[in-house]
Amino acid sequence: MIPTLLNLLEVAIWSGIAAVGFAILFNIPRKAIITVFLLALGAGFIKFVLLDFHINIILASLTAASFVGLVSMPLAHRIHLPPVVYSIPAVIPMIPGYFAYETVLSIMSFIFLEVDVPKRTALMQDIFSNGFTMLFILISLTIGVSLPLLLLRKNTVKKIKR
Amino acid sequence: MNTPKSLEEISDLLLQIASLLMISGANTNRVNTSISRFASVLNCEVFNLTSQKTIILTITDNNTKKSFTRVKNIPPHKIDFAIISRISNASWNAISGQWTFQEISEKIDSIKEQKKYSKYITLIAVSFSGAGFCNIFGGDYLNMLVAFFSTLVGLFVLQFAHKKQFNGYISVFLASFIASMLACTGIIYNIGTNPEATLATSILFLVPGVALINSFTDLLDKNVINGMVRFTHGVMTVLSMALGLFLAMLIFQIK
Repeated sequence: MIPTLLNLLEVAIWSGIAAVGFAILFNIPRKAIITVFLLALGAGFIKFVLLDFHINIILASLTAASFVGLVSMPLAHRIHLPPVVYSIPAVIPMIPGYFAYETVLSIMSFIFLEVDVPKRTALMQDIFSNGFTMLFILISLTIGVSLPLLLLRKNTVKKIKR
Repeated sequence: MNTPKSLEEISDLLLQIASLLMISGANTNRVNTSISRFASVLNCEVFNLTSQKTIILTITDNNTKKSFTRVKNIPPHKIDFAIISRISNASWNAISGQWTFQEISEKIDSIKEQKKYSKYITLIAVSFSGAGFCNIFGGDYLNMLVAFFSTLVGLFVLQFAHKKQFNGYISVFLASFIASMLACTGIIYNIGTNPEATLATSILFLVPGVALINSFTDLLDKNVINGMVRFTHGVMTVLSMALGLFLAMLIFQIK
């Protein structure tokens, strides 16, 4: 139990670091960096714990992104920055980049390399499962991040009362 | 009340704000609400069509009901969240403080001049995120070191290609090719326990995350055309990434 938890925590910390790297690439204000790190750490921890319980990656991403969305709302009032500035970098480590290029790689192998019929069928399965997993993770990340605004039917966080 | 300015100047200012927000990676809804906030401070109403390369904007003076239309082309996108947050803060301050045209214009000029993180800090930070991704995918610390260096070199190539004004997709292809070539040497010399994780994560720094998230945000807001444009841009980028990786894997005969 404890080693698993420590392992999950290590992965979560590294996803926090990954988010900070991207945050600096996107030139976020300096006072938001710690926030991004903590948000991404929390989101990563939630996601990997859920994955450890064999919950589907799409559902896990949705939960983690909703965590980011819900927490970023009170934070926006506190540090006076619009929520996108730290909620988008915080979910960047969860962007399904791997599924995205794996889809394209499968398509390329299907077209250029493979001639064997059973292997081509397996590649077709890869193309569909990876491609649609990517799409659904993206949709769930978007919904999770904008959840407070969608639920409260407001178009800016400023108008939501604390 | 505000000193009346000519509609031409006001529309130029609003177009400048909209284009700044658009190139910094704001979603379409944010662009539209921001410029209508600024317009309301200047006692105008604004109607606009925002797309990825052009903004068309008509402003109407609330008193005289005169209107003015102007079109602006948007320069290439360069994501910058500091600009988004500063413009957002400025728009709220402008409303609460009833800023004049002069004040808004000076504020926007000062926002444009803000400095960025230095190139080297960006390189190191993004390389750390490459290493972080490698850990997430189950690599050990040796794998992470290889991922760190492939990301470092890959991002350097990307920045160099941007500076030489290569086509965006070709720069991504080059960066992905070089980064995955370096990661492939990790597989050949069998560095670490899980060199495949390095190969899978060495090119993740190129994933167009903001474009892909914004595309679905735009689709949720029913800005369908902008959403589709951003999604297509994301898919094209992923395509060039995968092409670079595919070529490197073909050269090293991996898989």
